[in-house]
Amino acid sequence: MNLPKIALDWLDSRLGVKELIHQNMGGYLLPRNVNLWYTMGAVLMALFGLQFLTGILLLVYYVPDTEKAFASVTAIMNEVPFGWLFRYLHVVGSNVIMIVLLLHMLSVLYMGSYKRPRELTWVSGFTLLNLGLVFCLTGYLLPWSQLSFWATTVATDAAGAIPLVGESLVAFLRGGPSVGAATLGRFFALHVMVLPLGLMGLVGFHLFCVRRAGISQPPFGKDYQPRTFGAGFEHEHHPHGVPFHPNYTIKDLGMIFFVLAFLVAITFYAPWLFIPADALEPADPFVTPEHIKPEWYFLWAYQTLKIFPSKLLGLAAQAAAMTFLALLPFIDYGPERRPAKRPLFVTCYLLGILLVVGLSVWGHYS
Amino acid sequence: MMRKFLFCGLLLLVFTLPALAEDTVCLQCHGGQEGRLGAPVGQWQTSIHAQNGISCHDCHGGDPSDFAMAMDPSRGFIGVPAYTEVPAFCARCHLGVAEDYAASAHGQALERGGPQCVVCHGNHAVVKASIALINEQSCSRCHSYERAAQVKQTISETEATLTQLDTKIVGLHRLGIDTQKIKGELFAGRNDFRRLFHTVNLEKMRAQTDEFGQRLGKVQAQVDSIESTLSQRKMLGGLVVLLLLVAGGVAMLIRKSYHDEE
Amino acid sequence: MDDVSLNNQQRRTFLGVLLAGITAVLGAVFAWPVFRFLAPREQTGASALVRIARKEIPVGAAHFFNFQGRPAVVLQPAPGSFVALTAVCTHLGCIVKWVDDKGEFLCPCHGGRFSAEGKVLGGPPPQPLEAYVVTLEENDLVVGRAV
Repeated sequence: MNLPKIALDWLDSRLGVKELIHQNMGGYLLPRNVNLWYTMGAVLMALFGLQFLTGILLLVYYVPDTEKAFASVTAIMNEVPFGWLFRYLHVVGSNVIMIVLLLHMLSVLYMGSYKRPRELTWVSGFTLLNLGLVFCLTGYLLPWSQLSFWATTVATDAAGAIPLVGESLVAFLRGGPSVGAATLGRFFALHVMVLPLGLMGLVGFHLFCVRRAGISQPPFGKDYQPRTFGAGFEHEHHPHGVPFHPNYTIKDLGMIFFVLAFLVAITFYAPWLFIPADALEPADPFVTPEHIKPEWYFLWAYQTLKIFPSKLLGLAAQAAAMTFLALLPFIDYGPERRPAKRPLFVTCYLLGILLVVGLSVWGHYS
Repeated sequence: MMRKFLFCGLLLLVFTLPALAEDTVCLQCHGGQEGRLGAPVGQWQTSIHAQNGISCHDCHGGDPSDFAMAMDPSRGFIGVPAYTEVPAFCARCHLGVAEDYAASAHGQALERGGPQCVVCHGNHAVVKASIALINEQSCSRCHSYERAAQVKQTISETEATLTQLDTKIVGLHRLGIDTQKIKGELFAGRNDFRRLFHTVNLEKMRAQTDEFGQRLGKVQAQVDSIESTLSQRKMLGGLVVLLLLVAGGVAMLIRKSYHDEE
Repeated sequence: MDDVSLNNQQRRTFLGVLLAGITAVLGAVFAWPVFRFLAPREQTGASALVRIARKEIPVGAAHFFNFQGRPAVVLQPAPGSFVALTAVCTHLGCIVKWVDDKGEFLCPCHGGRFSAEGKVLGGPPPQPLEAYVVTLEENDLVVGRAV
C-alpha cells in the first residue's frame, strides 16, 4: 500500500500533475555550468518564508497600540516561551534578507542577466528590492521604541523636501503632523497586509518571468556566445543541460542550509548586532536620542542627504540613481553579457559598489 | 522661507544635537556670566543631576522659563542655602540619607562646623556616589583617617558587589532582557546601603553588612539564573548551527555525486 | 564503471537518508518552540489563592471575581459564613447572575436556577455549582482549591 504513490496517481488522473512535475523538475534542463549565485533566489524564498512564519507568530502577541506596543514586545521577549527566539529570528532575518537581496542583485548585474528578454524580470526584481526596504521601514516602527519613533521621524521627514506637495506628503505618510498613533496604525496595516500581498504577487510574477523566459546561460567560458533574437518569443532551452531535479534542487537546498546556519549563528551569538541600544527604550516624543541613525541599508541615503546642501537635491540625486538602476535594461541594451567584454559597465559597477559602501561607512561614523 | 528654516532646524536638531533639553533661563543668564556667578553652569553640566534632568530650579526654586520671575520668591525661589541649611536643602529630595546623617556624629557636629553634604559631594559638580568619596584627602580635613579607613574597608565588598551587579544588569538589558524589576531591587538595595553609610557608625555598618550581603545575594541569584539560561540557549543554538552546516555539507556532497556522474 | 556508479548510488542513498534525518531533527527542533509559543500558558498563579477583603461582601450579597481564569462568586448568606462557587453554569457555560431579593442564582441563558449553596433549584443544569474552599483570615477571605 504505497500511499504517496496512490495519492499522486489520484491527483494525476484528475489534474495531470505528473506532467507538470516532470516539466519543472526532472524534465527541466538547465545549463551545466550554473554557478552558486543562481541559488540566491531559492535562498530568498526560504528566508521570506521564515519571515512570514516568525511574523505571524509575533502577530499573535503583538499589540499595535502606542501605549501597549513596547510592553507587548517586552512580554514577547521575556514572558512568552521562545518569544525571544522568534523576535530575534525576525529581526536578524530581515537584515539577512537585505544582504541576500543585494547579493542577488549584484550577481544579476555582473552577469548581465537583466538584458533582453529578461527586462521585466529585472524591473519586478528591483521593485521587490524596494518593497523589501519598505518592509524594513514599516516593521521598524512597530516596537515603538526610541529608535522606532525617531528613525521613522527622520525617514518620513525626507519626503518634505519635495516641492509643493512635500509637507502634505509627510503628513499623509505619518497620518498627522508628527509620528504618532496614526502612523503606527497605517504602518502596521502596510507591514502586515499590504506589503505581504504585494510581495506575494510580485514574487509570483517574478518567478513566472524567470520560468517563462528560461534560465540564462552563465556568460562565462570560451563557448559562450551572446544571444541573437528573432521577432517572436523564444524560451531559452538547454537541450544538452542537466535536469533541475536533482542537480539544482539539492544545490538550492544546500545553500539554504548554509544561509540559515549563518542566520541562526547571529541570532544566538550576536543578536544585538542589529538592535542598537535605542531600540530597547520606549519611545519618548519629547526626547531625541543622540546619534540617531537609520539601519545600515539606509545609511547611503542618509549620508547622501547630509552631504547635499539642499535636501531636495539630495533626494533628487537618489531618485535619479534608483530610476537609472530600475531602467538599466533599457539603457544598457546591448546583447553582450560577458563581463570581460563590458569594461565600461564593470567599471561603473565597481565604482558604484565603492560609492555605496563608502557612503554607508561614512554615514555610520558621521 | 519660514518652512525651509523650520525644516532645516528640524534636520539640524534631529541629526546633530545631543539630548534635547531646552536651556532654562537660569542657564541662559548665568551661562554668560563670569566668576562665581557663572562657574556653577559648567560644573552642573558635568554632574549626575544634569544627566538625570535635575536643573537649577529643581533645587533653588524660581521660574525656569521666565526671566523676570526666575529668582522670585513667589515662584518658590529660595536662593543659596547657608552652610547649616544645606542638609535640609538636599533633604527635599534625599530624605533617607538626610535622616541618617542628622542622627550621625557628622550631623550632630553641624552647628560646630561639622561636615554637610556639599563638603564631601560638592554642590554643582555632584558626581554619582561611589566608594571613592571616602579617601584620605577628604576625610582627614577634620580628623584622622583611621576610622574612615575602617569604614571604607567594611563597606568595600558590598560596594564592589553593587557595582558588579549594576554592570551585569546593564549587560542583560542590552540583550533584551526585561530588567525593570531587578534594577528596582538593586536600586532600592543600593539606596538603603548608602543611607547606612551616612550614620558613620562603624558597628552599625558591620552589623548590617551581612544583611545587605544576603539581600544582594538574592539579586545576584536572579542575575545568575538569567545568565545560565542565556548560556544554555547559546549551547542549543550552537548545536543547531552545527546541524545546519552539516546538512548543507551533506547536500553539497550529494550534489557532487551527481556532478561526478556527468 | 558499473562498480563506481553502484558505489555512487549507495553513497547517494546513504547521504540522502542522512540529510532526511538531519532535516527531520531540525524540523522537530523548530516545531517544538512554535508549539510552546502558541500553547496556552499556566495562568499566573493558577494554583494560587485569591484574597478578597471581607468588607467587599456584604451580608446577603454576592461578589463576583476571577478565579483560575474563570468567573467565580463568593457570598455571605449568613453573617460570618462564606461560600465560594464557580459562576459558570453547569448547563452550557453561561455566567449566572445573583438575584438579590430571591437569594438565588439565575442563569440568563436558559433559566437555570441555583441556590446560595450552588444546588440546582430548577431548569436544565445537570450538576450543582462547584464549590471552592474558603478560609477566613482576620479581614480577608482566601479562596483556595476546589472542595
